[in-house]
Amino acid sequence: MKPAPTLSSAFLHPVGHSLPEPLVALRKQRGTALVDMPLPTRKTENWKYSSKYLKLTDDMAIALPAEGKTGSSLAVPGYKVAFLNGVMIPEASEYPDLDGITIQSFDDLSDEEAADLADRLDNTLDNNAVQMARLNSARFEDGLLIRLSPDAVLDQPLFIVHEVTADASGSAFPRIYVDAGRHSQITLVEEYISSGSEPVMVNTVSEFTLADGANVTSIRLNMEGENVQHIGATGVRQQRSSRFESHSVGFGGPLRRHDLQVRLEGEGAECKLNGVVVTQGKQHYDNHTNIEHVAAHCNSEETYRNIAADQSHAIFNGRIHIHQDAQKSNAEMNNKNLLLSNGAEIDTKPELEIYADDVKCAHGATIGQLDEASLFYLVSRGIARREANVLLTMAFINELVEQIPVAVVRETAQTRLNQFFDQTFEEA
Amino acid sequence: MLSIKNLHASVEDKEILKGINLEIKAGEVHAIMGPNGSGKSTLSQVLAGNEAFEVTSGEITLNGENLLDLETEERAREGIFLAFQYPVEIPGVSNLQFLRTAVNAMRAHRGEPEMNAAEFMKLAKEVSKQVDLDPAFLKRGVNEGFSGGEKKRNEIMQALLLQPKLAILDETDSGLDIDALQVVSNGVNALRAEDRAILMVTHYQRLLNHIVPDYVHVLAGGKIVKSGGRELALELEERGYGWLGIKDEETADSSAN
Ligand SMILES: Nc1ncnc2c1ncn2[C@@H]1O[C@H](COP(=O)(O)OP(=O)(O)OP(=O)(O)O)[C@@H](O)[C@H]1O
Ligand SMILES: [Mg+2]
Repeated sequence: MKPAPTLSSAFLHPVGHSLPEPLVALRKQRGTALVDMPLPTRKTENWKYSSKYLKLTDDMAIALPAEGKTGSSLAVPGYKVAFLNGVMIPEASEYPDLDGITIQSFDDLSDEEAADLADRLDNTLDNNAVQMARLNSARFEDGLLIRLSPDAVLDQPLFIVHEVTADASGSAFPRIYVDAGRHSQITLVEEYISSGSEPVMVNTVSEFTLADGANVTSIRLNMEGENVQHIGATGVRQQRSSRFESHSVGFGGPLRRHDLQVRLEGEGAECKLNGVVVTQGKQHYDNHTNIEHVAAHCNSEETYRNIAADQSHAIFNGRIHIHQDAQKSNAEMNNKNLLLSNGAEIDTKPELEIYADDVKCAHGATIGQLDEASLFYLVSRGIARREANVLLTMAFINELVEQIPVAVVRETAQTRLNQFFDQTFEEA
Repeated sequence: MLSIKNLHASVEDKEILKGINLEIKAGEVHAIMGPNGSGKSTLSQVLAGNEAFEVTSGEITLNGENLLDLETEERAREGIFLAFQYPVEIPGVSNLQFLRTAVNAMRAHRGEPEMNAAEFMKLAKEVSKQVDLDPAFLKRGVNEGFSGGEKKRNEIMQALLLQPKLAILDETDSGLDIDALQVVSNGVNALRAEDRAILMVTHYQRLLNHIVPDYVHVLAGGKIVKSGGRELALELEERGYGWLGIKDEETADSSAN
């Protein structure tokens, strides 16, 4: 038997960018733990369908340079923070100047602040479930810490544009940490984009802690190029009566993986997780979500839609774990999938683990094609076949796109969707 | 306007239409009656171009043009409109968006400019009044959760918006209450015009009190077995189909055996 492949040591050498000592120490410690880390294979349960897309060759280990031009695709009017290859670019950023809201890059933190952060990093994630996020902890070169004092309200969405420049192979490890104080509110948009065409990897981790009554909306727009492997993890911990809303829209690539883990730890907390995935060509996209109902009286509502065209491959794995003490939990999970071609593949798996007896838990998953009767009805009114296909495909995701609470994100997503339709549905 | 000659059509290798001949001239209203399963909807769907049905022989021309060469959407643009017996529900596509896309497809075909959202909204509101549908229905998904009668009114609304040359109404009267029947009939009568023909499939002669046809045909076992004037419908109402040598339950399928 061949030994299981392990992570090349080339990945375990962070370089360059200066960070406060406590974070450097943390990174080093995380790196040590990764020596000989087995890489996911077909037999690794949560990478079963995706390991074959993962290419961790040594040239991916090189850190991409933290300089160059940034060019956000979101021409955003308000607050924004630009990351280039995982490092924050202050010149391209515009922070809000509001009482109770601090936004700092990791290298601007005092040693004391950095030590505090080092204690907290990774605490929102079940690291055994997201092995690849551990690589970020060993390699991040910079990051963004957002802190909201109690009752602080960010009056406009904050855009975080994560760009990679793929002029040579390598990788970037962006990182953000949001600490939302009691009854604070923030809407945050993470947009992932790329330029250049060499094979690169983005390995990103976003963490959110929500104190009592905090209200956080996280929007994720994944628009990187065909050359970018994207491995992302988002961890969320919610205290009493807090609300977390996630809207993600992702377009496929050679490898796209997002793990979203939410822990409902205080009574009355609720989360709503919406996701749209669109793949074409030979693209891949894998969403793994995990909702932990730890406390009683919490609600979770999850709706994911995958659309796969051509020979592409989309995966959804939704786990809901209702702990023994989480009585009166209310969990709803729904995943619908649309295959636009016979060559496309979609794998969907709900995983429910329920240890409390007084809970409501509903789940449903379907895989189908565009409905012939609906198509006929539309074209019988003179609507072109291509247009009818577009209407029905949009109908499949409209409900989710319309719920995204930031107009410029909806528009950006729609523009990219229109490109997808142009490539997928022929002109008559 | 419409000429059907010796039309044969099958679905899943089962012959349903077995030699239909029918001539419809501009300005005329024809009614087709006949037992359940006799092939009335099949004929309607074949005219609209549903590919689930295969035309095995015969011809259909619309104003001299071979209809069988045209795709469904092209037929619609040439003026064929089918009000479905069972209108399809399409959640996620708003009725308004659907109707505007259809109207603009027709306008583009005629070389007319697109109607913008505001212009169309105005038109749609007027027409929805004409069929007594609350404009709130425009915002809902296409036929989504509409009652049977509301779906039928939505079909007539589409006919009024699209102004077809040949409107085929497949049991547009079924499931309507008395008031709705009146509303739908008024809508259909509003469609009547010199340059337009109407083909109505119905089981009930009561519709024909509201919309007086020029001809009535009986379709049984996949063939037109009897044609006549308006009085034929009254006779069928009184005597059933038995006197024509058809059993009431005879279908396109059973007559083949
Ligand atoms: N898609 C299909 N697959 C198999 N059989 C079909 C299909 N569509 C129609 N048929 C059959 O063709 C025959 C004619 O059906 P059609 O719907 O045309 O009848 P109809 O005259 O409209 O009846 P009704 O008065 O009940 O509406 C029936 O026996 C029906 O079962
Ligand atoms: Mg019928």
